[in-house]
Amino acid sequence: MKRLLPLAVCLVMGIVMIVQFFSPHPVSLQFNSMILKWVIILAAFAMVLAIGNLIRHHGIKIQRHKENWPFSIVTLASMTGMAVIGLFWGVEDGSLFQKIYLNIFAPLSATMFALLAYYMASAAYRAFRAKSLEASLLLIAAFIVMLGFMPFGQYIHPQFPAFAEWIMRVPNMASQRGINLGIAFGAIATAMKIILGIERSWLGGKE
Amino acid sequence: MKWYEIISRIDRRIIYLLLTFFVVLPFFIPLTIPQNIMPQTQKLFDFIEAIPQDDKVVLISFDYTPQTMPECRPMAIALLKHCFARNLPVIGVSYDPQGPGLAVEAFATVVDELNAHAVTREDSLVYGEDYVYLGWKSGRIAALLEMGENIKGVYPRDHFRNAVDSFPLMQRVNNYKQVAIAIVLAAADYPLDWIRYPQTRYGVKVGTGLTAVMAPKYYPFVQTGQVSGMMSGMKGAAEYEKLILDKGYAKELGTAETGMNSQSMIHILIIVFIILGNIGYFFARRKKSES
Repeated sequence: MKRLLPLAVCLVMGIVMIVQFFSPHPVSLQFNSMILKWVIILAAFAMVLAIGNLIRHHGIKIQRHKENWPFSIVTLASMTGMAVIGLFWGVEDGSLFQKIYLNIFAPLSATMFALLAYYMASAAYRAFRAKSLEASLLLIAAFIVMLGFMPFGQYIHPQFPAFAEWIMRVPNMASQRGINLGIAFGAIATAMKIILGIERSWLGGKE
Repeated sequence: MKWYEIISRIDRRIIYLLLTFFVVLPFFIPLTIPQNIMPQTQKLFDFIEAIPQDDKVVLISFDYTPQTMPECRPMAIALLKHCFARNLPVIGVSYDPQGPGLAVEAFATVVDELNAHAVTREDSLVYGEDYVYLGWKSGRIAALLEMGENIKGVYPRDHFRNAVDSFPLMQRVNNYKQVAIAIVLAAADYPLDWIRYPQTRYGVKVGTGLTAVMAPKYYPFVQTGQVSGMMSGMKGAAEYEKLILDKGYAKELGTAETGMNSQSMIHILIIVFIILGNIGYFFARRKKSES
């Protein structure tokens, strides 16, 4: 029963929601609206669960003095502090919440991400070698797109940016479309397997 | 050590130092290189340009994060300036939890700048009348679909906890029928959800402003018309800045222009390093096969 009930709910709701999608009847639309509201509420509960999990994980880490436990204090203090500041003093422009977000969180996040540029430059220099025909083609295409998308590109040749754009619009688009179709077919197959109860890993536990 | 070994084993600290130098250089020596406008940026500009005034609203989804601010923030600023210059009301939403802080900042920057030059009440931008920021909502896909039926059902209160019904702007906006275009500014796959769900079901027009690394994935959607226009990375933002400047909607270029100069310098530097690395690699390989 523990496994049968969720499978039955999944099967019924999966089929109902597919049928509903193609029905413009007011009852169908009202039903859809109600279900969507439930999903939004459920997603909010999932967040509560995630916060609870985060507190539990870091609480245990602090309690047992596990490796890097002082960082867990920073995590919990930051989360609680921001929530309290936002709830009691508002989130308007110029508020304390906004000031902390824009002057501490944003620069810290941007700095971490900016370091990637250094690693990328170093890695491209060390690893981007024309060792084979495929690697050489990739290298040439990358050079054309990089140069063509720069404002300098038009000084190499007036048609150079258009050529770079062509690479993006034709060969790139063809491969992207292939990948997108593959993903879409895979998603349909997986959804059908879940609805029909063939794929049961979402239930958790062993078969 | 042979010369080809030297050029293929440059110390990474030298690379880092040069990288820093060329990123900073354009901030002190400004370069003015004319931008050539890519068709997808022009399409987005033309679309907003063609929206009739006093008709529909522009919905902007602020889903970029502090990490991608240099690319996406200039897009947001340029878009807001364009919409407000054309008297098009703007509704802001976010589905990335990091989005609201940046959306509030972008709205405040543009509104403060434009209101500083306002002479009459009609020239001023008023919250609730000319723009509204509804904030972040969990359950993204469900929220996107439900907004097709009733936006106020999903967002009974705005980001600042005001009742949405109290705003004159929201009294004439019920669902996507009153939205001319939804523009998603994102560093992740959020626009795909807009294409898959609200566009398929409600026919809402979708525009995008994406980081350069995300943009290649969306070219097929631009070609099919599912995306009505796209700003691609910092270049797209710089192009949009130029378009609104040329049209007289802005007084000067924004931060993407300077950013593009730094980015161009870095691209050239990376290309030079890759070429050096490959020259060293070829000579080393030749020497090895000879011996």
